Amino acid sequence: MMNICREDSGKGLDMKKLEVGTQGIHVISDEAPLEGFQMLKQAGFSGCDFGLNSYLQNYTLYQFVHNDFFNKTDRELEEFFAPHKKASELTGVRISQMHMPYPICVPKAPQEFNAYLQNVVAPQSLKICAYLACPYIVVHGFKLARELGSEEAEWERTEAFLHTLAPMARERGITLCIENIYTDVGKHIVEGPCCNARKAAMRIDQMNDRYGAEVLGFCFDTGHANLVGIDFEDFLTILGHRVKVLHIHDNDGISDLHQIPFTFSRDRGNRASTDWAGFIRGLANIQFGGILSFETAPALVAFPTEMKCHTLKFIANVGQYFADKIYDLS
Amino acid sequence: MQVSLSAMTVIDLKAAKKYIQYTANAGFQKIMLDLGLFCSGHALENYGKNTGAVEQEELSICLKRFLEQCGEKTFRIDTMRTPHLAWNTERTDLNDLMFRIAKESIQCCEVAGSRNLIVQPLFSGIDKESVWQENYSYLLELGHLAQQSRICLLLENQCRNMNGHFVRGVCSDVDEVAQWIDALNEALGDEVFGFCLDTAACNLCGQDMGEMVVILEKRLRSVLVRECDGLYESSRLAFTGMNSHGCGMDWAGLICGLRRMEFDGELIVDAHDTLRGFSPLLREQIYPLMKSVADYFVWQIEIERKIKKYSAWILFGAGQMCRNYMACYGRKYPPAFTCDNDAGLWGSFVCGLEVKSPKVLRQIPQDCVVIICNTYYKEIAKQLRDMGVVNIETFNDEYLPRR
Repeated sequence: MMNICREDSGKGLDMKKLEVGTQGIHVISDEAPLEGFQMLKQAGFSGCDFGLNSYLQNYTLYQFVHNDFFNKTDRELEEFFAPHKKASELTGVRISQMHMPYPICVPKAPQEFNAYLQNVVAPQSLKICAYLACPYIVVHGFKLARELGSEEAEWERTEAFLHTLAPMARERGITLCIENIYTDVGKHIVEGPCCNARKAAMRIDQMNDRYGAEVLGFCFDTGHANLVGIDFEDFLTILGHRVKVLHIHDNDGISDLHQIPFTFSRDRGNRASTDWAGFIRGLANIQFGGILSFETAPALVAFPTEMKCHTLKFIANVGQYFADKIYDLS
Repeated sequence: MQVSLSAMTVIDLKAAKKYIQYTANAGFQKIMLDLGLFCSGHALENYGKNTGAVEQEELSICLKRFLEQCGEKTFRIDTMRTPHLAWNTERTDLNDLMFRIAKESIQCCEVAGSRNLIVQPLFSGIDKESVWQENYSYLLELGHLAQQSRICLLLENQCRNMNGHFVRGVCSDVDEVAQWIDALNEALGDEVFGFCLDTAACNLCGQDMGEMVVILEKRLRSVLVRECDGLYESSRLAFTGMNSHGCGMDWAGLICGLRRMEFDGELIVDAHDTLRGFSPLLREQIYPLMKSVADYFVWQIEIERKIKKYSAWILFGAGQMCRNYMACYGRKYPPAFTCDNDAGLWGSFVCGLEVKSPKVLRQIPQDCVVIICNTYYKEIAKQLRDMGVVNIETFNDEYLPRR
């Protein structure tokens, strides 16, 4: 493990080695959140990606069913998340990014169902985000290109939705982050919303210009990018400072497996089939200053429960490796 | 729109005559001569290691022999394709050879009277920072030669091998490609460069083909229509990759995109891997299917262009296809009414259109078209012709945005 301090390597004082974060799912429980935050701390994480999607799961949404979690009053929501907030403060593991429940627009769902997601769940998510002092929340774009006939028409719908949240986001100092996601044809994964870096950059700038604040940013998802063969370095470099948060995870290029980086190889050379070197160069190019956040919760399920702490530590070590490499290149 | 069959479907050069005959019998009038037929990726990979095909024979000699085998079958060869290095090549020392081969390919185009040459950009052994500069020099030099010969060079999207996983390679970013083509054409003062979209490369990288072609606009001169499973490169017949979840290739997206950008170039069908999968005894029967698939693509892509050339429209059919016409084109190309053979529907309304008896079609003006919105196309077209209707077009709702 490399461990370069900034003084030793002669970097400018403004250069800091990146911190590492991971998902709270399978670690932090609502019953005893402090234990989970402590476990993250001990493993070497200083950031937590707190997903609200576990409170309203996507498989139910695809069946046009939702629970009433987000019907809580503001006070009830604050009471519910107060232990999480306290645990975060006590451990120093800050909630560095969140994930809104997804999809936030279910194709073919009744209009009132999507209206509930967009008019109730989404703003409630922002309130929780603000309460937990989290600066970024990831929002999935609508998957409607096939229905509407073009990606432009699809974006218009997503943009209209984002406009409903932007004033609240500005008011509460939150940046909504759109993410590169995928869709599929016959189970073969192909690019979905926000997979064109140039368009995403232009749209983010337009939105932020309009509101005079960074209400919109980007979440770069390495696993999704790998599934659709995106060039990590180019994509990150084009988006530049607009990249606010990361979803770091790995897969075989076929399925969205959310495993630990360097897990997969596709030939007998046994070298990684995901372009992690390009990822490192890309983040160095843009002088990324956020948190190296892993979205690898499924790995905690794949490994035996008894190994959870070790697995978390290993993920943190991989993050530390990235941090070192990016620091070297920056 | 032009349709060609890739000459890679000549599975066995020793039996070329037979496959050429199959091609002619199926109704193809053009072939795209992939010079990889004479100089394979495998041969390039082994170049200099042993007596490879490249060293043994020049492409022009191979071409001459091939044309002789075509004999009386006078196919037009509008487009050729340079021999290609495999995306997972380990050779980083062949760029000079590739330049020589590309120059030979231009000469081959001159011999066969071809107007387009699909060119693989340089990628092997070139780092990311130098890829444009290296290709600019290479392509500009080729461009000068092509310009003299009045040949258009079509760049083609490539995959990059990431340790066995194909990801987006050189010329896969169509925004960048558009810049490349514009810069090269500006330097040459002429439209020497265009683009050929390889659908299999797109599918391997999960790219949205429909959006890509819209961005490319008129730079897109040809589309190499071949299917793969998204994991390995292959050239299968379109629509054959069906599984229980559907077709793993976004043909709907491509068709809609080509329709949106009013594609009027060349569709090149390549299905040589599908052919190879069949016994030589069965292969002949695949050729008519390949032709039907090509014709189907053309029909689907040209649906809107055919409709928009008229100034007045009448529909035939009052079912779901009529409703889908109205949803997609009802505002752009509003029909006066619709007809149906079902007398029970006469006088009723569908999407605001009155349903009338077909008899009224005997008095429609000359500039009016009757658009058949019913899958009994042949039968209804005959009925209309028998009634003296001249302008008859067909509509289909298989590949429409679900508005």
